[in-house]
This record gives sequence, C-alpha cells and structure tokens, in this order.
Amino acid sequence: MPLRPSRSAYPLSWRVLDALEAGARGVWPARFARGVPWLMLAPAILLVGLLAVSLFEIADASLRTLDTATFLPSEEHTLANYARAFSEPVVLAVGLRSLGGALLVTLATLILAFPYAYAMVRTPSAAWRKTLLIALFLPFFIGQVVRAYGWLILLGNQGLANEILGLAGLGPYRLLFNYWAVLFGLVQYMLPFAVLMLAPALSAIPEEVEAAAGSLGANWGRTLLHVVFPMAKPGFVGAGLVVLTLTLTDFAIPAILGGGGQDFIANAIYDQFFRTSDQGMGATLTVLLVLVGSTLVGLVFALFGAGTLSLRGRGP
Amino acid sequence: MREARAKRLVIGALVALSLLILSAPTLVVLGASFTAGNIIAFPPDGLSLKWYEKVAGASDLRQAFWRSLQVALICTIVAVPVGTLAGLALAKHRVRFSNALQVYLLLPFTIPLIGSGIGLMLLFGEAGVLGSLWPVGLAACVINLPFMIWAVTASAGALDPDLELAAASCGAPPLQTFLLVTVPAVAPGIITGSLLMFILALNEFLVSLLLVDARTVTLPVQIYNSIRSIITPDLAAISVVFIACAALAILALDRLVGLDIFLKSK
Repeated sequence: MPLRPSRSAYPLSWRVLDALEAGARGVWPARFARGVPWLMLAPAILLVGLLAVSLFEIADASLRTLDTATFLPSEEHTLANYARAFSEPVVLAVGLRSLGGALLVTLATLILAFPYAYAMVRTPSAAWRKTLLIALFLPFFIGQVVRAYGWLILLGNQGLANEILGLAGLGPYRLLFNYWAVLFGLVQYMLPFAVLMLAPALSAIPEEVEAAAGSLGANWGRTLLHVVFPMAKPGFVGAGLVVLTLTLTDFAIPAILGGGGQDFIANAIYDQFFRTSDQGMGATLTVLLVLVGSTLVGLVFALFGAGTLSLRGRGP
Repeated sequence: MREARAKRLVIGALVALSLLILSAPTLVVLGASFTAGNIIAFPPDGLSLKWYEKVAGASDLRQAFWRSLQVALICTIVAVPVGTLAGLALAKHRVRFSNALQVYLLLPFTIPLIGSGIGLMLLFGEAGVLGSLWPVGLAACVINLPFMIWAVTASAGALDPDLELAAASCGAPPLQTFLLVTVPAVAPGIITGSLLMFILALNEFLVSLLLVDARTVTLPVQIYNSIRSIITPDLAAISVVFIACAALAILALDRLVGLDIFLKSK
C-alpha cells in the first residue's frame, strides 16, 4: 500500500485550484511578474477607455454644423458652432444660471453638511449615529427622480407645505417651478454626498484636540475656526468639489422642479440633441461644459490638493 | 457650561433641519402611495392599497422594473471583478505613472454625466448596439466604477502584506494566495462596492434616458416621463419599490459590513 494517496484522491477543490494555477502559468509566465499590476488594471483602463473614446466622438461632432437643407451634420470641420455658442445670449444666461446656482448650492450644502457630519462622528450614542447614517443613505439610494417626485407632491399648490401655510393664514404660494425650488431640490440631493465626504475627515480629528483648545481658553467658535476647520480641510475640498461639479451638471432636478423654465446647462444640451436635433451645437455645449468642469476641478486640486478624492488607500 | 448648551442647541437645530429635508420626500411618497383617493395628495384621503393593485397589474411598469433590475445586475457583474482587480493593483503595488493613472480612472467622475451619456450614446450608436439593454448596464458600470475601486482600496488598507507572504511561505502559489487570502481580506470592500454599484445602477436616470428607446425604458426613465404628463398615485406606489430596494440595500450593508465604515478615515 502506497504511503501517499494517489493524486486522484485529492479533494476536488485542490485539483481545480491546481488546474487554474497551471492555466495561469501558461497564460502569464512568472517572468512577467512585473506586469501583473498592469494586467490587473487593464480591464478598468479599457472600460474607462470607452469614455475617453466617446470624448473624441463628442469633440468631432462639435466641429460639424447642422446643414439646414438636409438636416445632417456637415462633412467638413469648422469652428462655427463655437462662434455661435459664444455669441448667443441664451447660452451665457443658462451658463451663468447653472454656475451661480452651483455656487449657492455648494455653500448651503456645506453649511448643512458640517453639523450633520460633526454630530454623526462625535455622538457617543451608537443608535443615534446609526439613525443619522440611515437617514443619509435612504435618500442617497432612492435616486433623483423619486425624490423630485416627492417634492412635487409636497410643494404643489395643494401640497402639505401650502396647507400648513394656509393654517397660518398665508398663501397659497407657488412654491414649485422656480429657481429656488431647483436650488432647494439640489441641496437635498447633494447633502448625503457632502456628509459622506466630510465625515471621514472629521473622524480623523481626535476629540482631545478640541478639548485641548477649549482648555487653553478658546471658545467653541474659535476652536471651530482655528482648529477643526483647518484640520478638516481635505474633507471640505472633497465635499465642495463633488457638490459643485455635480450641481453644475445636473439634469433631473432642474428639469422636474424647474418645470422647463429653469434650465441648467445639461438641459440645454439635451434640448439641442432631442428638440432642435442640432447635434453639433449640443456637442459643442458638452465640450464647453467638460472644459469648465475640468478647469474647476484642476483649479481646486492645484489650490488645495486632491483632498479625500484620492483613489489610493493611503496618502501619496 | 452655557457654551456647551448653546453648541448642542445650534448643532441639534441644524441636524434636525437636515433630517427633515432628507426624509420629507421619502415619507411623502410612502404616505401618498396609500391614498384611497384618485389624485395624489399628502396627507392621503383615506387609506387603501388600490394603487399597489393597479401597479401590480400594469405590465409596462413591471417590465420597466424588470429592465432596471437587469441593468443593475449587468453593471454589478462587470464592476466587481474589474473594480476589485484595479483597486488591489492600486493599493498594493507601486505602479508607474500612478498619478496620471489616477486622473484617468477618475474620468467617470470628472466628466459630467450628461457628457458621458451623450458620448456613449454617439459611440454605441455608431457601433449599432443601441436598443439593447447591455449597453445601458455597461454605461452604468463605467460611470460609477470609481465607487467600486474606492471601496476596494479603502479596505485594502486593512490588508496586512505579511498575510500574503505567510501564505506564500506555506507553499501557496500566487493565484491561490490571491483567491484564498487577498480577496477574502478585502471582502468588506467588495461587498460595499457591489451594493453601491447595484443600487446606483438600479436608480440610474440620465445616462439611461439617453441610451434607451421606447422598447427598453428603465423604471426611473418611465417615472420621469410620467411625471411630466399627469401625476397619478400609481407612480407613488411604484416609487415605493425603489424605497424598499434602498432599505434592503442599507440593511444588507449594515448586516454584512456595518454602516460605520463610511465614517472611517483613510
């Protein structure tokens, strides 16, 4: 009787693993070991490559004007769409409306997000922390359309908000389909993003630091201003940037809560493609939006660093 | 101690305001879905389940929901291996050009969604694949991929490199080490990432709006198209499906990895 059982007596999982191992060695010999990280990154690079290629598609489309005789994009390349985009007052108005709105929403969201994140990180009660987290994730996981739908019900002319105002003898007011309704909806949409970007930065600040500032005579306002805010800067940069760019480019909230009269850039782009069918003009506006967005991101990164947005696990 | 009280009061008031703003639309949709009346109203005119009955019988809504589920599944199935491999490569290995690579892999976040949507629409249109569902799932995967990579890199920080060395010194070949040691060690990140990818793809709206046609509308697009015409309570009832899915995802996240991981600093 042999001392060792034959190979066929090994458990199936061993044999499967051995076969996989042999297969892997055949496809990727050990002397290529240095290339393994790139092999692991390749699928992600290819997937994101779809986006990179599609950017070229957009750029190409933006250089072709709409031929009004055939309703087809022109064959030759021209910068005419860009000249038109810069000379049309509507484009400027929509651009300024989006940018101004994005700045206001970012400010309001950060003002609301900081106390929320602070309370969530600092509370001694685990149950309260979980409640705050759930209240944050529920809207985050529900999606924009359903949330905007909720606001339509709540803020409509016969909605709860107007009924409460009615009890106080006020209204009814037209709460929907104006600029402020859009901004309000955007703040609600952005709040979970901002809190989730801010909270890790705040939990990195030891509570003792605040206590130390207090025991050295700083009141709470000064502790916040000189200790907590500077230490939480990466969180504020990350949160502010995410809110700013997502708001600037949002489509659903202005479309639903703005009622068609409060278009942001994304709505203008959509209309160029699907209402006016001027693909070239729509692509031009898209290119301009991508440029403005990347400039903003680059500017903030250059001024403040990548903050909490870094994809690497630990610092550089 | 007056100051401590004032601090608690200010923070408490702002948190209460945020809680109200965050929860109001969800509660209103939930409440309105149970109305017995024929118009949408909150508070509802009496309670009934009749709109749920109507939704269960409406084949267009059911099919739209089924398509959204398929999109979410395709997105997750693609994202999990791709994002896990990329996340581990970034976290464990010193890769050359890692700064440029980082900028590149963050493209889905830095390109505005409308840009990604329009670009993919042109690209898929040229390839002639618009009108089927898999491009929508693939698109949802591309635009949210950084979430998956993020989740994995964050939990790879907790991975002790000695574990892999120990496995190797016990005679485990590389693939076996990877499958039986590395991957289980970052499992919390993989679970978090896949849940995020699934739920974000289920809710995905703008890119789907650009990529679907009348035969392939997903549920968020269907709801959007309907609220632009008339708002009936059956929309509230179907929206509750999303609320239920979100609640399930949160429950799973809490049970499997704990919600607290979102508070940890890197």
